[in-house]
Amino acid sequence: MATRLTLNITGMECPNCAMTLERMEDTLPGVLRAEASYRKAQLVVEYDPQKIDEARIRAEVERLGYRAV
Amino acid sequence: MVNILLAFITGLTTGGLSCLAVQGGLLASSLAGQIENDVASATGKAHKRGKFARQQPQNPGLALPILVFLTTKLLAYTLLGALLGLAGQAFQLSPLTRAVLQIAIGIFMLGTALRMLNVHPVFRYFAFEPPAFIRRKLRRTAAGADGQSLGAPAFLGLMTVLIPCGVTQAMMAAAISSANPLTGAALMAAFTLGASPVFFAVAYFATRLGARLERNFTRFVAVVVLILAILTIDTGITLAGSPVSITRALSRTYAAPGTQASEPVQASASADGSTDTITINVLNTAYSPDVVHARAGAPLKLRLVTNNVRSCSRAFVIPAINVQKLLDATGEVTIEIPAQAKGTQMPFSCSMGMYTGIILFDL
Repeated sequence: MATRLTLNITGMECPNCAMTLERMEDTLPGVLRAEASYRKAQLVVEYDPQKIDEARIRAEVERLGYRAV
Repeated sequence: MVNILLAFITGLTTGGLSCLAVQGGLLASSLAGQIENDVASATGKAHKRGKFARQQPQNPGLALPILVFLTTKLLAYTLLGALLGLAGQAFQLSPLTRAVLQIAIGIFMLGTALRMLNVHPVFRYFAFEPPAFIRRKLRRTAAGADGQSLGAPAFLGLMTVLIPCGVTQAMMAAAISSANPLTGAALMAAFTLGASPVFFAVAYFATRLGARLERNFTRFVAVVVLILAILTIDTGITLAGSPVSITRALSRTYAAPGTQASEPVQASASADGSTDTITINVLNTAYSPDVVHARAGAPLKLRLVTNNVRSCSRAFVIPAINVQKLLDATGEVTIEIPAQAKGTQMPFSCSMGMYTGIILFDL
């Protein structure tokens, strides 16, 4: 069963940043869907809790150069 | 021609780096997505926005995909310019409609500039955000590129039209205002071409701006867009026929010697005194004279004379009486203005609101 996580993101400066964050959908095992919105400064992630946890997703956000608040 | 040259210079100066900040990620990813990931995971450093990986200079084999990317980008934006020019033409119902459109574009640019300056989150709504499925397609095409095939850079070059940067949006506004598909295409082509050398150089050497420099540069671009926004709104106001605008004030203050009448000119009456006539020389950068005193209560013939004129001053408008004439590069056209009440002020301008003048019915 997928878990849905909504994070408010700081540091996004243009719509391209949203695309960068969404890369985790392809690179992070366990992330089923990642949709970021520059306008809302938000990232919505659906993930498989058996494979990945919230802390790992937050760490990925940080690694990409943004902050989840 | 002047506008097209200006578009090229804008591309060369601010367009290249500004657009690179928005679109560079696509190019970098398609060229070296795998290397970027490897470098990032090896160093454990954040690579914000995936712009350009911290790699050493790339091999010369990258020149071709970069050129393919830039070529398809040029084609896409030229086509976009033509479509925008066509759209502007369709909207060219009256000088007032164009004025409203121009003011709306100016407000959009203003919002873009304030967004870039991070004034308030509400201005983020001025950014174009492609739908999620398009973002996904772009991302996966970029990530899937193996660096050998030219298909991905070609496709991504085309797709850059979906993520225009702030300065590009300003150029798109200019293409709409041109109200001509050929001019629109030429404007966008000149701008994109101007932006290409910087784009190529930075992509080829795979360097990136430092975070601080990047932030300052974004601010610089935002200020440029802000100034362009104010000018666009002002030319819209001028085009709407307002006798008060920055453009009108500047054209009086900084008129180049010999290009504009320093003294207002009075219309001359016909032999029987029933009609007045005034000749206005349409120059490349002004109307001469630009202040005309005319008799109230008598029809006025406005004789417009062009001599090898190539600028937008040829597109002559008088909003108050809905006159809109595209003059020949060399020739003469007479516009008949019905009798006006004393005290009437009748501004005229080019269709871009850049060159202005006024008829004062005060005699």
